[in-house]
Amino acid sequence: MQELRFNPLTGEWVIVSTATQKRPVRPSSVECPICPGGLEFQDISEYDIAVFENRYPSLLKNPPEVESRGIFKKERAFGVCEVVVYTKDHDSSIPKMPLYQIKKLVSVWKDRTRDLFELSFVEYVFIFENRGKEVGASLSHPHGQIYAFPFIPKRIELKIEAMRKWYEERKKCPICEVISSEPGERTVYENESFIAIVPFYARFPYEVHIYPKRHISTILELSEKEESDLADSIKTIVMKYDKLFDQEFPYMMMLFQAPPKEDVDHFFHFHIEFNPPKRDKDKLKWMASVETGTWTFINPVAPEEAAQKLREVKI
Amino acid sequence: MWIFRRKISEGFFSLSDKKYSAIWSVEKIHLGFVVKGYIKGKPEKLEILRIDAPRKALAGGWQSWSPFKVIDTKNHSFKIRDWKYKDTPALSENHLSDYLVASNGIVIGFLSSRFAHPYFEIDGDQIVAYLDYFDSNFENEIPIEPLIVLNEGDTPLLLELYARMIAKDNSVKLEKKKPIGWSSWYQYFSDLEWSDVLTNLEKAKDFPIEIFQIDDSYEADIGDWLDTRAGFPSVSDMAEVIKRKGFKPGIWVAPFSVSETSKLFKEHPDWVVKENGKPKIAYKNWGKNIYALDLSNEEVLNWLNDLFSNLRKMGYRFFKIDFLFSGAIPGERKRSESPIISYRRGMKAIRKATKDAFILGCGAPLIPSTGFVDGMRVSEDTAPYWEAKDEGISAKYALRNDITRYFFHKRLWHNDPDCLILRKDSNISKEQREIYAITSGTLDNMIFLSDDLRKLSESEKDLLEKTISLSGGKPRVENIMDTSMRYEITSRGSNSGNIHLVVDLKESKYKLNFDNHSKIDRRVMVKDNGRNFYFYGEVF
Repeated sequence: MQELRFNPLTGEWVIVSTATQKRPVRPSSVECPICPGGLEFQDISEYDIAVFENRYPSLLKNPPEVESRGIFKKERAFGVCEVVVYTKDHDSSIPKMPLYQIKKLVSVWKDRTRDLFELSFVEYVFIFENRGKEVGASLSHPHGQIYAFPFIPKRIELKIEAMRKWYEERKKCPICEVISSEPGERTVYENESFIAIVPFYARFPYEVHIYPKRHISTILELSEKEESDLADSIKTIVMKYDKLFDQEFPYMMMLFQAPPKEDVDHFFHFHIEFNPPKRDKDKLKWMASVETGTWTFINPVAPEEAAQKLREVKI
Repeated sequence: MWIFRRKISEGFFSLSDKKYSAIWSVEKIHLGFVVKGYIKGKPEKLEILRIDAPRKALAGGWQSWSPFKVIDTKNHSFKIRDWKYKDTPALSENHLSDYLVASNGIVIGFLSSRFAHPYFEIDGDQIVAYLDYFDSNFENEIPIEPLIVLNEGDTPLLLELYARMIAKDNSVKLEKKKPIGWSSWYQYFSDLEWSDVLTNLEKAKDFPIEIFQIDDSYEADIGDWLDTRAGFPSVSDMAEVIKRKGFKPGIWVAPFSVSETSKLFKEHPDWVVKENGKPKIAYKNWGKNIYALDLSNEEVLNWLNDLFSNLRKMGYRFFKIDFLFSGAIPGERKRSESPIISYRRGMKAIRKATKDAFILGCGAPLIPSTGFVDGMRVSEDTAPYWEAKDEGISAKYALRNDITRYFFHKRLWHNDPDCLILRKDSNISKEQREIYAITSGTLDNMIFLSDDLRKLSESEKDLLEKTISLSGGKPRVENIMDTSMRYEITSRGSNSGNIHLVVDLKESKYKLNFDNHSKIDRRVMVKDNGRNFYFYGEVF
């Protein structure tokens, strides 16, 4: 079964996709499906960066027809789910990858965004990486994913509305104002084009946001220099994460771009969120009842303190 | 600012007149407000809004070919130059603009034209927005065409937001990508011979062309679209030949026009719009009187459906439908309804019959066409010469409109800047040909060639390639209120990165700059279950 179901209690769409149940869970490098020669690359001995449409997609370019009954509203599960394999090396990771490989990854994200933006049924393109079993990554081979949604997901919709409201009141983009107002105590790292901060409003203990200093709304607008600086920012943050507790740090890395079919560029500022579940070396910050049920986060580490710790990590 | 002759304020209002009654609201929206409501009765010419006129205003006419430019509101009159503008439904001495008017930091525009024709007049020092319902009498309430005033931002941003709101109000969904094509018109005009088609078909494989479109000249007469002129094969065989060469067949049709000499008119003289009971001349062209089909007549709609269904069955997948304004001229129709309602009936019939084919509108009333076309000409015809007296037909003034109407693109439809003329033996200089191509690419517009393809050398192919490489971004005309014809155009995130183009139409000069932008080598494979695999290599 593959369909979208509407939740009238929250106004959100739920993807019902029984195909995803078949996905393998953390196979070893011997049977890794995305290593060269693995299930997905049986006839391929080597690749640099590869992207492919998920064997177990939640969304489909040609989804089955659906029929709504009464108040139970359904829609066809249009969309694209892609897997982005960062490197052929199973045991690599962003901290181990050379900078030029991460820059290449940024170029690949741009290329995929451009293609997916052109699809008539696509309303939002979401690039992300789940790293570590703590956040449900099913494969340890370094990879991320891209979901091209047929709707604007609820949290993105809320971000857009909040940014729009801010702009209407202040005639400025909120992220531009955060960047210009940030006193530095929450800054973790910055280069010429990007700043990485534990934001004033961080929900997770070691949450980091990466903001481009120039107001852009999608990664398509990145110049070559900005691509390099973004690669540098991502690598630096993940290296700091891994050094923080001297262990491979689990995280959810999420890229937030403006939707392709809306005119929100004047207030929507492209940004990356790292949401790591760790609150200490051996402790996890769970998405428990309060967080999941009320969307209210209780952050046990002051953002200023987390920023200082991450800033002081030498890499 | 006055709305329905009252001082502006937010809230809900009602009004009863001898002839009509209306309820409406004024609501705050992002960067402005909207006036919307319902009306019934016989409103005729209805004043919606009155505002002090700025000295300079961006204004223009109702259809593809109408100029759209910055004018002096104190010293302006739309000249009734020729037949093309004669029947702008609301043309009067004081006519200023149709659908929208903009100035520095403000855009006032109607979001739809479903029942009425929206337009603006100058009244002393004020601009007045009207809806013309003609003689329509509505027994039941109908929605008033919503009017927005955006006044909290720069003009280009407000124009883009305005276009997006039109798209949402009309449920526009851009289903199709813009194709690259070839059209016979600007090389051969009405002298096209079938041998020219065959010659260009042979050469077309050397170009990145998907659509091969035969323009005006194949038809036996205006209205007799399935009969061909001497020397041409049947319409069906034309499609077959094009398909066999590996292209999607495209065809030109003026579907709402009927010539006085056509078989169609002789067989159905009662199918046309009338005046005082006699066929009304919609316009003159091809040396003949041209009448307009009465699109309120169900028989006419069935004929349109059969015509386009047949053409589609023959294999045509691209329809350039031209002279569309004729379907919306005022006059006597079978059903007593506004010409806008009739026009939309005709467009709906064509959209339904052509199914997944690409429809390019031309000579079309703009806002009533939203949702029915995939592409839209936003200018007068281009020409194999640059300049023309009184801003007449020429490459220069076509391109000016493509620039000033840039904000419709990819919101309502794909803007068609008309064909590129790349050949050397036209009366357009190398620099002017480059300006047209590069500007069209930067604006992300449709790209159609219209040269004898044998005449194009490697340098013209390079220019075409460059034009295509400039597309794909979000264009903006930063100084759209400028009157010097020197435009500053940016495009963010194009296939070539961020673009900054300064194009001077008066001096025929341009300056093109890019951000450095990396490109990555890509190979695509389709594997099991049709899944796409993309292999990326070196960045260059």
